[in-house]
Amino acid sequence: MNRSMGRIVGIDLGTTNSLVAYVDPQTGRPKCIPGPYGSTLCPSVVSLDPDGKIIVGEPARRRLLIQPERTIYSVKRLMGRGLADVQEELQLFPFRLDPGSASVIRVRLGEKVFTPPEISAFILRELKSWAEAHFGEAVDRAVITVPAYFNDAQRQATKDAGKLAGLEVLRLVNEPTAAALAYGLHEKQRGKVAVYDLGGGTFDISILKLISTREGDIYQVLSTNGDTHLGGDDIDNLLQAFIHEQIRQTDDVDFSPHGELAQELRKALIAIKHELSEEESALLRFPLPNGRLFEHQFTRGAFEALILPIVERTMRPVKQALADAQLKPSDMDEAVLVGGATRTPMIRRTVREFFGRAPHTELNPDEVVALGAAVQANILDRGVQDMLLLDVTPLSLGIETYGGAVAKVIPRNSTIPASAQELYTTGVDNQTGIDIHVVQGERELARDCRSLARFTLRVPPAPAGLPRIEVKFLIDANGILQVAAKDVRTGEAHSIEVQPSYGISDAEIERMLEESIEYAEKDFAERQLIEARTEAESILNATAKALNSSQANAISAEERGKIDASVAALREASAGSDYKLIRRRIDELNRATLHLAEVVMNGAISTALEGRNVAEV
Amino acid sequence: MSSQPATTNPPLVCWNCHERTVGTHFCSSCGKLLQLPQGVDYFSLLELPRKLWIEMAALEQKFLQLSWKLHPDKFVNAGEEERELSLKRSSELNDAYRTLRDPIARVEYLLALEGARKEGEKKQQAPPELLEEVFELNESLDELREARASAGDLTALKARLESAERNFQEKLGEVDDQLQAVAKEWDAAFDANADSAARKKLMARMNELLNRRSYIRNLVTNVTKELAEV
Repeated sequence: MNRSMGRIVGIDLGTTNSLVAYVDPQTGRPKCIPGPYGSTLCPSVVSLDPDGKIIVGEPARRRLLIQPERTIYSVKRLMGRGLADVQEELQLFPFRLDPGSASVIRVRLGEKVFTPPEISAFILRELKSWAEAHFGEAVDRAVITVPAYFNDAQRQATKDAGKLAGLEVLRLVNEPTAAALAYGLHEKQRGKVAVYDLGGGTFDISILKLISTREGDIYQVLSTNGDTHLGGDDIDNLLQAFIHEQIRQTDDVDFSPHGELAQELRKALIAIKHELSEEESALLRFPLPNGRLFEHQFTRGAFEALILPIVERTMRPVKQALADAQLKPSDMDEAVLVGGATRTPMIRRTVREFFGRAPHTELNPDEVVALGAAVQANILDRGVQDMLLLDVTPLSLGIETYGGAVAKVIPRNSTIPASAQELYTTGVDNQTGIDIHVVQGERELARDCRSLARFTLRVPPAPAGLPRIEVKFLIDANGILQVAAKDVRTGEAHSIEVQPSYGISDAEIERMLEESIEYAEKDFAERQLIEARTEAESILNATAKALNSSQANAISAEERGKIDASVAALREASAGSDYKLIRRRIDELNRATLHLAEVVMNGAISTALEGRNVAEV
Repeated sequence: MSSQPATTNPPLVCWNCHERTVGTHFCSSCGKLLQLPQGVDYFSLLELPRKLWIEMAALEQKFLQLSWKLHPDKFVNAGEEERELSLKRSSELNDAYRTLRDPIARVEYLLALEGARKEGEKKQQAPPELLEEVFELNESLDELREARASAGDLTALKARLESAERNFQEKLGEVDDQLQAVAKEWDAAFDANADSAARKKLMARMNELLNRRSYIRNLVTNVTKELAEV
């Protein structure tokens, strides 16, 4: 029973770049789909054109330099976050937040305001169109990857983005797990595998066990850890801060983070960073607004000294994940590197030294996560029977108890889906409500953990201790929490309204969905415009050709005047952006040239018949 | 250890075909995924007797085998009822595996199952024979906090607390050894089909050891935390 007709894809919705991939039915191998610029990488950059059009990817990235106030990058850092969570980001990234961003961040692009899921949806929509152009068929379902260490709100925000992009999100898969899947398919690895994934904005480490069973291969995640505020972006920020300081000492130049100059410099520094992965030194040459050319020679040694704190920060989660899996570095059979930032020689060296073995880098670190997502999409779509992923929840789920402490009900690294039941009753006679606060995290006090949701169990007045309500907390296969309550005495479902602490309400999602259709219409209108203009072009050419032909002499001056007027009207419409008007003018010109076409056609036929006898015709 | 067959389940009516069915996982008549039958606990789900020594490799194998059958990935294209059921059934399987894999959680679960331990019933009173040591420890902790507030010398205090930490760690080890010994007795009583009075006695001892363990563990956690802040 297939619930849908469209194609299914795997999407890596990354901090810096996003990709879309599918499994080629012929070869059974996953493949990334290139976009209109030939690259499989779609820069995760979104820009709002002054005419209201949304621009995504490479053209949007160019606008970072010319229209930084209308353009946003690294929006993944804001997904599922509240204002208090992103203070660090606001120091380093040119995000323009709207007031009223407390529980859902709102970002300003030019004159409009968007939530992070809406901006991510623009990226997803772009990738969807790449895939649709590639297949020549509609795409309506996707597996989307998320950092393994994403919490409930960040996962929910990603799922919302998929919905807003018109995609049914069949599964959220953890990025390192997806990478392991791609590698496992690539060379049939077995045993214990550590996946070290340093992306643009997030770091994950996952420890997996690859098991061959009679039924097929199982990819079982034993533990995961990470840091959702740590990535290649941070290396760029460090380089930028370092150079700002150098320039400040010699020249009086303002580097406001929103400015074009800061973006120019950032771009130049990213190029230096890439060069230093290949070369021992690289020279930065940067023209300053005061006319002076700033130069700085980077050596790899100096670069590594600068980024040492970032590399060290990744090793703490690595050690914790190993401890949680009750393993030592030497117990690992393989290590795998994922994410563009792992091209850095220092990171490769650090991982090799820690695990005592050369890490795998055979698959393109930019593409491997999308490839794995495509593999999982194929498993889900075709019901592939010989592969199974068993993932875990990265953070413990807890309930706030008396005094603000946390009672853990589902520990971190539990295989998902996972659940826990808690029994609640009243403490005083005729108490009508029991307040429940759900949190996620490892700290002992609720205020140090991530607040997920609050709700009140409504109970009819009764003596204390008599009502018995069982609340079931369930983390689904996407790592997203579901809550249900049941009256133990009657066995009936107990309705609850869970108010998520962060994230967009269902009502708001509905409103956004309507707006996203408006954008879809805008896309549609644009295609119509291009097609109408192309058609106008060809009819204008044909008309000009007909008017220049010898047969056109048979046309009266009055008729010719009418045709010229229609041509002028179509030219004018074609320069505008109203495709309906262009269509109307095309029809008018068609009507005006009806006689001309006939005359030319007749002339052409008689020319063709000249010199031929009847028998030949 | 040979695993005993799962308890026979009472007949159930399938939600889909409404036929009576005897399957634990799938309807014997129409093949649809079923609710977990009444009376199937974590032990019987994983086809284990209610004993405390478990062969881990066999447990894992059973877990993986059932994962193939119950995981939501296998039901993506199924109807909504079956998709919901697979979410429920696979979470129950994962909960069962998580609980039985951990020796302490396993004892707690067994006692709860046998009605010998109520949820949330963890006595936080100090076991009488530990009273003196706990009193000393709390005094040292208070001194440490005071000394830290007034930036006094912490070296001696720190050493005293570290030795107390080691002392309680050792006690924790002792409790674990005792618990293991009683667990062995439980398994023997199970095999010998011992009467309920004998079982109850063993369960009471395990319950007491669990409470003691939880108390000492809290102490160790507290000391470790305070020491980490020095």
